[in-house]
Amino acid sequence: MAEVLTVKELSAGYHGRIVVRGIGLSLHRGDIVGLLGANGSGKSTLIRAITGQIRLIGGSVVIDGIDLAAAPERAKAGFGLAIEPHELPAPLSGRQYIELVASIRGCAPNDLPSGDLPGGDLLERLDLGRWIDRPIAEYSLGTRAKIAIGAALLDGPPLLIFDETLNGLDPVAAWEVKRVITALCASGRHAAIVSTHVVEAVPALCNRAVLMADGSLSRSWDAAQLAEAARAPGAFEESVMQALRMRAAA
Amino acid sequence: MLWRELVAGLCATRRRDLAWIALGGGGLLAYAIADIVVALHAAGPKLRHDQLLWMLGLPVAFAALGWLAGNAMSRLCLSRAFAPFLKALPLASAERRRMAAVGAFALGLPLTLMIATAVGFACAVIGKPLAPAWGLGAATLFALSFGTAGLWRLRRPRLLVDVAASEAAPVGRPWLRRLDRARPSWLSSWAWKLPAGNIRPSWKLAAASLLLGLATILGAWASLAGHTAGPAAVAGLAGGILVFMLSLRCQPLGSPVLRTAPIGFTRVWLRLVRLPLQLSLAFFLLPAGAALAAEPSAWSVPVASGLWLLVLNGAYAVFGAFFLNTPFVAMLSFAGALAYAGYETLEYGRTVLIGLAALVFFLWHRTRQRYRNG
Repeated sequence: MAEVLTVKELSAGYHGRIVVRGIGLSLHRGDIVGLLGANGSGKSTLIRAITGQIRLIGGSVVIDGIDLAAAPERAKAGFGLAIEPHELPAPLSGRQYIELVASIRGCAPNDLPSGDLPGGDLLERLDLGRWIDRPIAEYSLGTRAKIAIGAALLDGPPLLIFDETLNGLDPVAAWEVKRVITALCASGRHAAIVSTHVVEAVPALCNRAVLMADGSLSRSWDAAQLAEAARAPGAFEESVMQALRMRAAA
Repeated sequence: MLWRELVAGLCATRRRDLAWIALGGGGLLAYAIADIVVALHAAGPKLRHDQLLWMLGLPVAFAALGWLAGNAMSRLCLSRAFAPFLKALPLASAERRRMAAVGAFALGLPLTLMIATAVGFACAVIGKPLAPAWGLGAATLFALSFGTAGLWRLRRPRLLVDVAASEAAPVGRPWLRRLDRARPSWLSSWAWKLPAGNIRPSWKLAAASLLLGLATILGAWASLAGHTAGPAAVAGLAGGILVFMLSLRCQPLGSPVLRTAPIGFTRVWLRLVRLPLQLSLAFFLLPAGAALAAEPSAWSVPVASGLWLLVLNGAYAVFGAFFLNTPFVAMLSFAGALAYAGYETLEYGRTVLIGLAALVFFLWHRTRQRYRNG
């Protein structure tokens, strides 16, 4: 299947200081990659580099066949990023935020990928109905995460990116979002990167996983390894902890 | 906290940039001081005997400066004393205000010393008798005004009130529904921080509208009474740029919501400028119409005034985007750049304007780069 994301020898950082280096990563349609790592390992910096928020010091990022550095606007049409809750435009209501993103992406505000799933409108299923016309400033962390996820899914971009956004969701919303991500990626038209600290959630949701440590990819798991780990309770967590301990010792 | 923020900011800045700031800024400052000393020396005899300047102009200027500085510094200190991460600590409101007062005092003291030194030095340069006394007097006036403004703000915990007000934000049909729907929708509501697109009436808004309205009426009246286009055209130009400066807000340019979206810098920038420009031109139309009615043969005066308004609005839009989180600094910088360019034009002619245009282009380029690369 066609590559949705190709990252080659990526180095990036802040004010000339390199935080992530030598990153190589490729995602095909259907992939759900779990991005793991300790605090400060470089997960968010990698996502910022992939989404064009910081300048690449080296390497390249190609999204759905379009080079991010050469054509940033066109490349950015290829992904939907769930914005971090504190970065959302606090004065706008949830509906206005959705309309803002829809107007940029050139789609209808209700163009959310929930038609092929039972249960109707995604925003209603995320229990956003009573909040949607209130300013985002009044939202809790979880409600902000829900609206950010809803906006990321607008127009169904090929690559979906969630930077620890799923961590703040309530159980029902988390289940709904995981169901949508799984269905979208299973359709063969989308791929997803899910950055998370909830290690035990990765085998159930993702079909690949990578571990970041000290600004580089230190270990990866393919679909078979993840499926194997999912059979025994705690096996994947043990595997991740072992990798982290080995890295710390090295 | 402010000191630590400053140190952290300096540490986070690249050495190359620091060197540019220190050498370039230091060089410019030295040049500016030398230029001012030469100008003061030349104008010394006239300045020494200008009674209006010494009895009214300078005292009012230093009182106003002290009020503005006291207001800004105490606001800054209050924002740190009531910072969200401090809210969970067992600190009473009075204690926080005391901390803010200490901070404002610590910031005000060096400012007062600078005023005393600068005025004393300037008086010595022009040969004014009792130069140290004038410096001391100016510093006292500045300090009194600074302290009054600081006390006024510190006694009113506006920050807490604002939080309560935002929680009770009304919800209904957004006021800017029709005007703010162009792509990207709701951008002006976001920039103006209108809760869910609703305008909250405030005394600041009312006072600004009243002052601008009065200035327009006065300008129009002066033109119509004197049958000359000049006063109304000037009122239109000055009011138009003021409306634009007060209404332009560009902080969405720094948000990842737009920076990670498939939309370019220029499009977002133009969209942010759109409503303030419409407001500015709408304000301009009334005095321009009065100018035309007062002296129909001088139609070129309001037309030129309108063109200058467009040029100045465009230039300020670049400053506003560059200083996206600090509109007050953007206004001061723009006013400073205009004043400096105007001053140097007297000496070197209109070629200085090319320098101003280059500065605007450079700021636009840097802002665009920052939008693209952080």
